[in-house]
Amino acid sequence: MNFKERFALFFAVMGPGIVTAFADNDAGGIATYAAAGAKYGYSLIFTMLISTVLLAIAQEISARTGAVTGRGLSDLIREHYGVKWTFFAMSVLLIANLGTTVSEFSGIATSFEIFGITKYISVPAMAALIWWLVIKTDYGKIEKILLLLCLSFFSYVISGIMVKPPWPEVLVHSITPSFSGTPAFLLMAIGVIGTTITPWGQFYVQSSVVDKGITAQDYRYTRWDVLIGTFFTGFIAFFIIVSTAATLYAHKIPIETAKDVALALKPLAGEYASLLFGFGLLGASMLAAFVLPLSTAYAVCEAFGFEHGISKSRKEAPVFFGLYTVLIVLGAAVVLWPHLSLYHVMLTTQVVNGVLLPPILIFMVLIASKKSIMGEYANTRFFNVIAWTFTAVLIFLTTLLLVSTLFPNFLTDIF
Amino acid sequence: MNDLKVLGEFYFSQLSNKPIWDAKGRRIGRLYDMAIRWDSVSPQVTGIRYAKAIAALIPIEWVVSWDSTGLRLNASFDPLLTCPLHDDETFIGKWLLDKQIIDLEGSRLVRVNDISLSWVSHEDHQFMVLVAVDIGVRGLFRRLGVEFLLSRIENKFVGCQYIKPIESRTSSLQLTREKEQLRQLHPADIADIIEEMDYKQRANFLDVLDSQQAIDALTEMELDTQVEMINQMDEDRASDILEEMPADQAADILGELSSAKSEELLRLMESDDAEDVRELMQYEDDTAGSLMTTEYVGLPFWLTAEQAIVEIRRLAPEAETIYYLYVVDEQEILEGVLSLRELIIASPETPLKELMHSKIVKISPYDDHEKVTDIIHKYGLLAVPVVNDRDQVLGIITVDDVLELLMPERPHVESHTNLIARRRQAKGGHSE
Repeated sequence: MNFKERFALFFAVMGPGIVTAFADNDAGGIATYAAAGAKYGYSLIFTMLISTVLLAIAQEISARTGAVTGRGLSDLIREHYGVKWTFFAMSVLLIANLGTTVSEFSGIATSFEIFGITKYISVPAMAALIWWLVIKTDYGKIEKILLLLCLSFFSYVISGIMVKPPWPEVLVHSITPSFSGTPAFLLMAIGVIGTTITPWGQFYVQSSVVDKGITAQDYRYTRWDVLIGTFFTGFIAFFIIVSTAATLYAHKIPIETAKDVALALKPLAGEYASLLFGFGLLGASMLAAFVLPLSTAYAVCEAFGFEHGISKSRKEAPVFFGLYTVLIVLGAAVVLWPHLSLYHVMLTTQVVNGVLLPPILIFMVLIASKKSIMGEYANTRFFNVIAWTFTAVLIFLTTLLLVSTLFPNFLTDIF
Repeated sequence: MNDLKVLGEFYFSQLSNKPIWDAKGRRIGRLYDMAIRWDSVSPQVTGIRYAKAIAALIPIEWVVSWDSTGLRLNASFDPLLTCPLHDDETFIGKWLLDKQIIDLEGSRLVRVNDISLSWVSHEDHQFMVLVAVDIGVRGLFRRLGVEFLLSRIENKFVGCQYIKPIESRTSSLQLTREKEQLRQLHPADIADIIEEMDYKQRANFLDVLDSQQAIDALTEMELDTQVEMINQMDEDRASDILEEMPADQAADILGELSSAKSEELLRLMESDDAEDVRELMQYEDDTAGSLMTTEYVGLPFWLTAEQAIVEIRRLAPEAETIYYLYVVDEQEILEGVLSLRELIIASPETPLKELMHSKIVKISPYDDHEKVTDIIHKYGLLAVPVVNDRDQVLGIITVDDVLELLMPERPHVESHTNLIARRRQAKGGHSE
């Protein structure tokens, strides 16, 4: 094959990794990275960079499993681990995704508040709109518009450069691990990992690969797609932390609401900073709010063999449409709770994601290492060592968080 | 079969993991899986696998009783007396449980939640047969140990005569029967089933279908799936199938592939089939040319009605429609058109020239889709001829091609991220 043909092939299989990556930097992602920068300055950059590397590994495993088996993750869990484990995995996914849907609606509410519209109008309206659009129209076009809106997050990159952060210091922090046993720090660290690598992201990238009809042969191009996507996730996250650290942390401005995060864009956009932020947040939240309830309903129905698909009627696939509707309604309803700090909802749900990630990771790695399923594409020993270490570390951190929340003095005595 | 007695009915989930005791009351192991042989009408259980690590089987004849406390054997257990798995046997748990099968009765892909077994006796012989698979929610709840929650809901079974496991592990006798049953399915149903399969299952499944059935099913599929399947097939097979498909569909599929791949496939196709397809591929997506097929019935004007009918018999198998017959001269220039009805009721000696209508509605290959729909609608046609500027017939557009355009684009999504696939289509589908 000559260069041009290779290039053409790459573009044909491109997509799943990059779309997942952009949907990954959703409302919760922005909130978490910004909070990390504003509260801890540059010290969490290290955690973020490590979790980006791990994201690349996790996404690679999922994409590879999808390409080799031609099946979704829930399907594989069901066939190889039976009903009980599937029930467990799907419960984990449901809780995590319900949480994430809530955080997307918080993002939608916040961005509309920036434009001066109360959440009591915007959230029900958008929930209805999403529900209706997904079922009645061609989502492909909407997705493009939303992806375009997400591009406004590149403004953090420009802003991050314009504030002239102390680069040597940033660099030092990027490679020195920092650790503190306080619940707040652990919470933040797990949040950062949980927002970068999400249970739904793993399910989503695998089924996108399957739906695109990518086979083991085309897989090497998909690997690049995944790596490029992951790079952008990390790239934007890095600059969000840098720009918030250089502006908010440096001036000791605490973040009370997500609107404060827009302050970090002041150097670039001046008085339009909050508008710019609002559009970006809206795009990211809507993108994920579209994808999440639908992909959750798909995964669950696929695992249990219920009829599913948007082309089916509500009568043919009651569980599918029921689940989809319940996720949207619940997600929106939680946000409408009066006096709820939307910003804290976004942060908390990322921690929940982080805590619920290990079970899903364990299934993923187990399946990807099975020769009987993956053949010659099974995980190498090196890959497995990294994947298991990471899972162990995450479980360790989660346990620490639990302990430190229950016995606040225990850890501070040790560290 | 008058003395067939049912001694008990079980679900696989109720037996699985139950302890096995031998005649001396020793615990041998637990029921890990069951081997079946499927050569007669009902699949019969032949042995029991009693541990994960041991592949050997306890022959089913040893079992004297099955109940909720476990299985009891009639002899004292000796590992040396166990038997290995035969070639024509397979483990049901591994092969069926939690897997997808084709429900031949409902013509769809379903997932097996549980397996229903029956312990019957017939003239001193006792055996365990697989009766049906459970595909209902109740079976799912039973597996989770909470069946009582759904005790009012009926079980949903698919009888074993109606199941077709995607992975065939049955005897060749059974396989022939399966093929016979698959032949009863409508190609559109087969198309729906295939669309839900993964690419490995598709490849296996296509091998079971006879080639005409495979082509018919492929013709019924959405363009996205067609493209995917052709891409995933080996090139010889793909080109064989493309040859047999209607040329307009083949052209649509090839138009979606990369230029290198479509060139390769065209090269492998028979030259006259390839030529037809190439001709159709040159038209832009939104023109009449892209809708038309070259498989029409063209009759020379000097034929009589009787000769024409003979000629139609020869041409009909290849043609997309035979209800409209196009009358042409030596240079393929369109002279007139007549319907099959007019031809049949005419007296045999009448020349076509006298039967045909010479005032013809026709369109150019460069007209847009809207014009095509307008004309077909306005004149109430089943098909409209497409001619070039010298009035030579290039092909026809049938009403069902137009119907596809008129149907509001229904989101045909079998999986949530199909969004990407449709995006590709919206772009005109060129992967370059």
